[in-house]
Amino acid sequence: MDNNALIRRIIRSKETYMLLLPGVIWFVIFAYIPMYGLTLAFKTYKANLGIFGSPWVGFEKFEYVFRDPAFMESVWRTIWINLGRIVFTFPVPIILALLLNELRMRRFKRTVQTIFTFPHFLSWIIVASVLINFLDMQGMVNGIIRMFGGDPVNFLGNTTIFRPLLYITDNWKNAGWTMIIYLAAISGIDTEQYESAQLDGATRLQTMWYITLPGIMNTIVVMLILATGYIMTAGFDQIFNISNAATAKAGEILDIYIYRITFQSAADFSFSTAVSLFRSIVNFALLLLADRICKMLGSEGLFPPIRKAARARAKGAA
Amino acid sequence: MAEVKTMPEPARQTVRRRRSSHNRIEPLDIALVIILGVLALLIVIPFINVLAISFVTQQEYLKTSILLFPKEFTLENYQAMFEDGRIWTGYRTTTILLLIGVPINLFLTTSMAYGLSRPDYPFKRFFIFFVVVTMMFNGGIIPMYLLMKQLHLINSLWSVVFAYGINAFYLIIMMNYFSNLPIALSESAKLDGAGEWTILLKVILPLSMPIMATMTLFYAVDRWNEWFNAMIFIRKGNLTVLQLALRSIVIDSQISQQLNVSNIQTDKQFTEGMKMAAVIASMLPIMCVFPLLQRHFVKGMLIGAIKA
Repeated sequence: MDNNALIRRIIRSKETYMLLLPGVIWFVIFAYIPMYGLTLAFKTYKANLGIFGSPWVGFEKFEYVFRDPAFMESVWRTIWINLGRIVFTFPVPIILALLLNELRMRRFKRTVQTIFTFPHFLSWIIVASVLINFLDMQGMVNGIIRMFGGDPVNFLGNTTIFRPLLYITDNWKNAGWTMIIYLAAISGIDTEQYESAQLDGATRLQTMWYITLPGIMNTIVVMLILATGYIMTAGFDQIFNISNAATAKAGEILDIYIYRITFQSAADFSFSTAVSLFRSIVNFALLLLADRICKMLGSEGLFPPIRKAARARAKGAA
Repeated sequence: MAEVKTMPEPARQTVRRRRSSHNRIEPLDIALVIILGVLALLIVIPFINVLAISFVTQQEYLKTSILLFPKEFTLENYQAMFEDGRIWTGYRTTTILLLIGVPINLFLTTSMAYGLSRPDYPFKRFFIFFVVVTMMFNGGIIPMYLLMKQLHLINSLWSVVFAYGINAFYLIIMMNYFSNLPIALSESAKLDGAGEWTILLKVILPLSMPIMATMTLFYAVDRWNEWFNAMIFIRKGNLTVLQLALRSIVIDSQISQQLNVSNIQTDKQFTEGMKMAAVIASMLPIMCVFPLLQRHFVKGMLIGAIKA
């Protein structure tokens, strides 16, 4: 009886399914089939047999992967570079948002905000081109150094400057945009809190520290968890365009390693897929771990807001 | 709050004094203006430098160390850039990509977002889950490359068009927008016997122009900046997208420069000026739509943030 009712409802909704059909077909072909393609990590890829037909070999490829010293090096390099991002780029948009929020001059505020967000809309190729021109041996920064009688610095070809260069350029491009997220969170803070703080005679710095910052703590935590989830991935576009022959080794993060072994040398697609599957699993594990730790520290974590929203939506629908 | 009501008289006066001092400039304000102003300059100056170099002759470029405004204005660099031809190829390919790709993006995203936003049908939650999963996992580039190979789309622009069909984040933003439209609109149209596709086209879309404009901008910018898929899937020179054309002009030459520093100033042509002209040429459309972008992106993000 119940089954019949369900079938009747499905038939009645057939037009809705027709709306979903084009999108669902796209997701199946271009998202779910490649996801299934990750099983290639446990197969030996044969071009004539394709993803589906290639024979299974178990964990053999993973043994080769872990035996490649360049692989383990790139794993550690990725972790260190991206932990550095959490220290040197993660707090910057928060600080910018706090500072900009205190700014009273409306027009100046809007101008600064516009300037800060602009580089976000350019590709890393354009941003790298602009900054390479600015920082290379003939660039303007070295021009200024020469003017004051200093020796020009090779900012771009130096492996010790490479990591700071990554953090600075990352901030240059993206900090202003991420700042908008925090500004949005700040605008959601209850104004009553500010009024009572003012009545209590709090200074503006005190209000910033005791009201604004705690007010956006949940947003900060969510962003931190997401950043942790990207520890094995972040930075391909940036490093691919900022690094050069002199810094190639210092910038070989996991994604660059995958690209190099797959598309620049004799490709073993199964081997590369094994690496990329390893990367996805570590990412997901880190995401869950960060979420768990944040919950232990008493924060809401990543999933409750999503779950809550889904529940509210389901309730609204019923 | 109780404290506020019972506040003694002197305290009230200080509050009033603080209120009146609200418009006075404090040291904090000056510090903020200086810090944020310097940071803003650090973003603007590299762009001005690029712009200035693109309009300058080689002699002036070599003479001046801080180049922000050209004294002898020349268009030679732009001429050299167009004679080089790579930027033209890039413009052509990216324009085609935009004209084919964005309508497909909009069709797929709008129809699915509207379908997902319908209030009640079996397996609705499954379909939403089906989308959210793709936000957390993806197959990565290798299975995608092999798939394109099996579909015989390698070296065809269709591979790039289809590899980026729906952006799940945009889809969710749009679904939320449709969910917030009054349900009575589609219900009454349904009573008149209209099908879901007709309702979407005739009733919903005319009411959704703001979100459609936002989505068009989102996808157009993404398409304009697209290069990774094109680099992997297309190896034919005459189908190079704009970003890769720029990369081959600016970055590839820089990569080899790092190894032998001496060849820079011996070029017959003034390559630095030509490179910067290419940067400006690939940036120009984004700069033109940026005022629109800023408005729409901020709005779009606020909608997304509030819903999530």
